[in-house]
Amino acid sequence: MTIRADNRLLDGAPMQPLDCHQCGAEVEVRKASWHQTSVQWSAQALRACLERRAARSGDGGGPDHGLFPGCTALRESIVRAALDGALAVPED
Amino acid sequence: MKGWVNVTAVEASTTGIRSIEAEAVPTRFARGWHCLGLSGQFKDGRPHTVNAFGQKLVVFQSGDGGLNVLDAYCRHMGADLSKGTIKGDELACPFHDWRWGGDGRCKKIPYARRVPLRARTAAWITMEQDGLLFVWNDPEGNPPPPEVAIPRIEGATRDDWTDWVWQEIVVETNCREVMDNVVDMAHFFYVHYSFPTYFKNIFEGHVATQIMNGLSRPDARPPGKGPRMLGNSSVASYHGPSFMIDDLTYHYDDMDLKSVLINAHYPIDGNSFMLHSGIIVQHSDKLPREGAEAMAQKLGDFILKGFDQDVQIWKHKTRIDNPLLCEEDGPVYQLRRWYEQFYVDVADVRPEMVERFEFELDTTRPVEAWKQEVEANLARRAAAGRQA
Ligand code: FES
Ligand SMILES: [Fe+2]
Repeated sequence: MTIRADNRLLDGAPMQPLDCHQCGAEVEVRKASWHQTSVQWSAQALRACLERRAARSGDGGGPDHGLFPGCTALRESIVRAALDGALAVPED
Repeated sequence: MKGWVNVTAVEASTTGIRSIEAEAVPTRFARGWHCLGLSGQFKDGRPHTVNAFGQKLVVFQSGDGGLNVLDAYCRHMGADLSKGTIKGDELACPFHDWRWGGDGRCKKIPYARRVPLRARTAAWITMEQDGLLFVWNDPEGNPPPPEVAIPRIEGATRDDWTDWVWQEIVVETNCREVMDNVVDMAHFFYVHYSFPTYFKNIFEGHVATQIMNGLSRPDARPPGKGPRMLGNSSVASYHGPSFMIDDLTYHYDDMDLKSVLINAHYPIDGNSFMLHSGIIVQHSDKLPREGAEAMAQKLGDFILKGFDQDVQIWKHKTRIDNPLLCEEDGPVYQLRRWYEQFYVDVADVRPEMVERFEFELDTTRPVEAWKQEVEANLARRAAAGRQA
């Protein structure tokens, strides 16, 4: 099956590179609004992420089976970039 | 009229009308562990027929207690082994009594001096865990790598949890439809009468996760007597192409109810699949053993209703490879990109299919719209009540 592109990425803003202020991991980010966020990681970025590394070493196989919900430092980096305009956020 | 519509679709580029595109369903079946249901049902001393992966399979328990899965068609003259009988460690064919072992080899032909060469049929790798039987499907014929193992479900073997309440239904469509549910927040409101307020997806490696919190809907289930359900929080992950474990907590005004919900399927063929749901519920002070068992039954029925709601849509919809998404939809394309890893050879799995992707949905607008709709439904009902 052909892998197709998301129509929202074709017709709206594309994913945009962003560095995490804590670990420097380079990810791709998109915000369709203040509360929507897409993050595309690469294997390299994931290896760089400190919180991710800490989470992996403590993987106790709890109810969430080692699910990593996301990096809070990256989340902050995204908010900062959105606030200072480095990351475009469409107005309502 | 129908013909007219079709013509217009073809001429989309000139008219601005969007066309629906769909390739044929894949001819191969997903690589991965597939759950065949409660393992206990296969332990009644008889072989069982399972139609899966475009084939007919037979499941039987050998003398050592292990469950085996073979191609159902006997390599001698093609009889159906699932209509045969278990004799000791082997499965005996109903036609001429050839004896087949769980490893797929013919062990004995009672009326022959010698078993001929190449008397070997396809045997699937099986795994029994937490009361469930799994079968490994791989079109390339490789064994399952350890990293795709199905995680243990703690409550399934614990005394303070109920037994499985398990349901199975045949659905007449390609199984991609059920996968799309992972990302489809809005349908939970419109089809399942729930009310999502938080929604996030994470895809990484062979795991696809949906995190969802929701409120209960007073317009769908009028609050009755007893504890009032306020909402639920759910963390649900597909571990591979077909087996989802959902850690699901229902919040009541006076307690939290912890449950684990399984949503699993195996393809029968390209155009149908067997859909399974299983649920276990944890006992609590408020809900001791019997109460929890009753609750599991009730939730099981409720989930079955939910399946039927999906089925009503699937039955009549068309396959669509180019869904037209708004920003309040989930990541359908990225989910399908993840799902594709199970349909290509391992060597052809591309980084983009397995690299981590996160999508947090903005529920502001949906929640606004749905609150209004719930209010309107309640007002309409109240008005109708006054008239009656
Ligand atoms: S067909 Fe099975 S033994 Fe002859
Ligand atoms: Fe659904």
